[in-house]
Amino acid sequence: MGAAAAIGAFTVVPRHVLGGAGNTPPSEKINIASIGAGGQAASDLRQMESENIVALCDVDWARASGMFRRHPDARKYRDYREMLDKEDKNIDAVVVAIPDHMHAVASMAAIKRGKHVYCEKPLTHDVYEARVLAEAARKAGVATQMGNQGQASEQTRLMCETIWDGAIGQVHDVHVWTDRPLRGINDVYWPQGVGRPTEKPAVPDTMAWDLWLGTAPERPYHPSYAPFKWRGWWDFGTGALGDIGCHRIDPIFRALKLGHPTSVEGCCTLVNNETYPVASRVTYEFPARGNMAPVRLHWYDGGMKPPRPKELADGRTWSTNGILFEGDEGKMYETRLLPESRQTAYGKPPQMLERSPGHYVEWIQACKGGKPAGSNFPDHAGLLAQLVLLGNLSLQPALKEKVTRTRLLWDGDAMKITNMPEANQYLRREYRKGWTL
Amino acid sequence: MTDSKDSITRRTFVRGTAGVMAGLTFVPGHVLGANERLNIAGIGVGGMGASNLNACSAENIVALCDVHPKHAAGTFKKYPNAKTYGDYRVMLDKEDKNIDAVIIATPDHTHAVIGMECIRRGKHVYLQKPLAHSIHEVRTLTEAARKAKVQTQMGNQGHSSDAMRMLYEWIQDDAIGPVREVFAWSDRPVGGDPWSDFPIMARPKETPPVPETLEWDLWLGPAKYRPYHPIYHPMSWRGFWDFGTGALGDMGCHILDPAFWALNLGHPERVEAVTTHCIPEVAAETYPRASIVRYEFPARGSMPPVKLTWFDGRLLPPRPKDLEPTRKLGTNGALFMGDKGTIMHGSHGAGGVRIIPEVKMKAYKRPAKSLPRVKDGSGGHERDWVRACKDGKPASSSFEYGGPLTEMVLLGVLAMRLKNTMLEWDPVNMKVTNSDEADQYLRPAFREGWTL
Repeated sequence: MGAAAAIGAFTVVPRHVLGGAGNTPPSEKINIASIGAGGQAASDLRQMESENIVALCDVDWARASGMFRRHPDARKYRDYREMLDKEDKNIDAVVVAIPDHMHAVASMAAIKRGKHVYCEKPLTHDVYEARVLAEAARKAGVATQMGNQGQASEQTRLMCETIWDGAIGQVHDVHVWTDRPLRGINDVYWPQGVGRPTEKPAVPDTMAWDLWLGTAPERPYHPSYAPFKWRGWWDFGTGALGDIGCHRIDPIFRALKLGHPTSVEGCCTLVNNETYPVASRVTYEFPARGNMAPVRLHWYDGGMKPPRPKELADGRTWSTNGILFEGDEGKMYETRLLPESRQTAYGKPPQMLERSPGHYVEWIQACKGGKPAGSNFPDHAGLLAQLVLLGNLSLQPALKEKVTRTRLLWDGDAMKITNMPEANQYLRREYRKGWTL
Repeated sequence: MTDSKDSITRRTFVRGTAGVMAGLTFVPGHVLGANERLNIAGIGVGGMGASNLNACSAENIVALCDVHPKHAAGTFKKYPNAKTYGDYRVMLDKEDKNIDAVIIATPDHTHAVIGMECIRRGKHVYLQKPLAHSIHEVRTLTEAARKAKVQTQMGNQGHSSDAMRMLYEWIQDDAIGPVREVFAWSDRPVGGDPWSDFPIMARPKETPPVPETLEWDLWLGPAKYRPYHPIYHPMSWRGFWDFGTGALGDMGCHILDPAFWALNLGHPERVEAVTTHCIPEVAAETYPRASIVRYEFPARGSMPPVKLTWFDGRLLPPRPKDLEPTRKLGTNGALFMGDKGTIMHGSHGAGGVRIIPEVKMKAYKRPAKSLPRVKDGSGGHERDWVRACKDGKPASSSFEYGGPLTEMVLLGVLAMRLKNTMLEWDPVNMKVTNSDEADQYLRPAFREGWTL
C-alpha cells in the first residue's frame, strides 16, 4: 500500500484517501500487478512470489502464457491502462518490465495512483523522462526500485568501501566496458548498426502491436523488434549503454558519489537513425564532490575496452566486461587491487555499508514502510539513468558528427546542454498521439 | 624517345644498378639533360595508379599493365603510345630493356610479388601503401631494394608534405616536451564514402561468371584460390583479410606516418587490439567495423617510451583537456601528448598540424626551417621519386623508411587477427614471442606457382 500520503501539491491520490488501510504492515502481503509478464518480467515476478501476484498484463499473451499458468488466479490484461483502472483498489504495487520506451508512461501512471513501483532498467528512454519520473516518485512518497539487481550485491559494497578507505587514493579515471552488443550487425543476440526492415509480416494473433508500440512512432510489426530485439532500436531501446550501463555504472556511481557530469563526449561506429551503433566509447567528466577529486568516467561497448594495466599479472584474464579504477595511489580491477600482491596485503576494507537482504526484498520491505530501497528513483536510479541516457544523446544520429566530434557541456541542474542548443531536443522525444507522461 | 646511343647510356644509369658495380658513383643529376625522361611502366592502372601516372606524365609512360583492361580503359586511352599488357610478368619480360621505373598500384596482396620482380630486374619502384600484405613481404622488399640500389618510394604522399617537416622541426625544438602518448584515428572503414565502405560479410556463396576481360587468376596472384565475385574487385578487396589490410593498413600509413617519423618510433615492443564482434564466418573473412590497437614503443635515445593508440571505424580518443570544447576533432588525425603541451594534426602527412589550444599555437615561436622541403609537397611525391631516379638521392619515403613504417602498421593488423592478446614482438627474429599462431600471418603461404 502506498506511503503516498505526504505529497505536497502533487496530484497523486493516496490510497488511504480512497478508503484504503494505510501502510501494509510487514506481516501482511502486498498485492502486486505486473506490466509485462514474459521475459524479464517473469524473472522479476518469481522473486516476488512471497507476495500476492494479483494481476498480469502483457501485450502478447503467448509470451505471457508461462506466468498466466503459474498464477492462474491473477486477472489478465493486455492494456496496462485498463488494468490500472480496473484493479486500482486491489493493488498496492506495480512491476514494470516492458521495452524501454514504455517505462516512463507505465511507471508514471502507477505512481499517479499512489502505487509502489519496481521498474526495469534503464529507468526510462529519455533523460527528461528519468528526471520527471524520479521527481514524481519523490513527491508521491511511493517505494521504488529500478531493476539493477547488482546494486544489492556484496561486490558493490566492497567496491565502495575500498575506494572510501582510500586504498587507491583519489580516483581520477574509471573505465567500464561491456562486450554487448555481442554479435554486432549479425543478428544473433540483438542487432545494432542495421537498417529498418522493409517486409511487413503479419502481426502474431496473440499480440496487440499498437499497444506494444505505445508512445513510439507508428511502424509496421516485425520480429526484428519484438520480442527482445527492440533493445538495439533508437525508437524503443537504449542500446548497450542503456542496458548494461545501469548495471555496471551503478557501483561506480555509488563508490565515487557521482551526480551530474559537467560534460559528455561520445563516439561510435557509423550510426543510422534506426539502430544503435555496433560499438561506442563515451567519456563523462565530473567535478570535485566533497573531498573527492574530479574524475573522468570512460564507457566502452561492442568489444572495445581500455588498455590492459601493467599491474595485471600475465595469464590473468583481462575480461571482455569489466571495471577499472585508476587512482593516484593505485588501481582496482573490479573489487581487487592491482597487483594481486597488493590485494593480498590489503585484505578487506572496514565495513561502512549495511548489507542488503536482497534486491527484491529491499523493495518489498520499502513497500511495507521500511527504508527506501537501494536503487530507488528519487535518490539514485533517476540520476543514474540520466547519466546513461545522456551518453546515448552524445551518439545521437540526427546530429551525426557534429555531436560525436564535440564535447557537450552539461548543466545538470538546468537539464541543458549549454554549447549545442539543438542537442537539447533529444533530451525529450515526442510521444505518439494519445500518449502523455 | 629514340634509341640513340646517348639515351641508352642514360638509361643504363637510371635503370638503377641492380647487381652492377659496387663502386658505382652516381652521375650528378645535372649531367642529364633537362629533356631527358624516365621510361615508366604502370602496373595496376585503373584506380590510384592512374593518378600516380598522371603525376609523372612529364616522363615517358611506355607500358601499362592491368589484369582488367576494361577497368583500365581510361588510362590506356590517355597514353596511346604505351604498350598494354594484362600480365605484369609478360610485360616485364618483353619491355625489360625499355623500362627504367615502375609504378605499382595493385591490391595489397600482390604488392610484394610484383615489387620484387621489378627490383630483381633493377627497376626503380614506386609502390602504393601499405608496402605489402605481410611483414615478411615488407622486410623482403626493403632488403631487396637496398641491395639492388634502386630508387624506391612508397605511396604515402603526405610524407612529402611541408606540414610533415614542420611537425618534425617542432618536435626537435621541444615544442611540447617529451611525448609519451600518441592517439590516432580514422573514420574508415565506414567513412560514408563509396571507396571506404568496406563490406562486413561472410564469403560470398554465389559464383557469377568472371567478366570477359578480367584475368581473375592473375588478380588473385599469390592469394589462395577462390571464385570470382564482384565484391572483391575493383574496390572492396580492402575489407577482406586475404587481399587488403583494412582501415589500419590503408590509413595507418598516412596517419601514423608523422608520429613514426617525428618520434623515430621504430619497432614496437608489444601491441594489443580489440575489435567489434562478428559471427565466426564473418570474422574469418572481413575486417571488423571498428578497432582499437595499442602499441608500446621503448625509449629511443633521449626520447621516452611511447604508447600509441589507434582508433578506427569512427571511434575517437578521449578529447584532450587542451582542446577547446567547441573545436571538432577531424575525421582522421592524431594527437601527440607531450609533457608540456599537445599537438594535433590531420591525415596525409600531418595536415593542418597545430599546437592546441590555439592560444598556445599563436604564442609559439616557430623554429627556423631546418629540413629541406620536397618540391610541391604531397603533390610532388611521385615527382620526388622521379627526381631520385635521376639524381640518385633517395626519395622522401623510400622503402628504407616506408618498410619499417608498414611493418609497424601490419603488426597492428596482425593484432586485430589475434585480438584481445598482448603480442610481444621480437623484430630482429620477426617473431611474436608469445604466439605461434602469429607465424602464419607474419609469413603467409603463397598459392602454388608464386614466390617472392
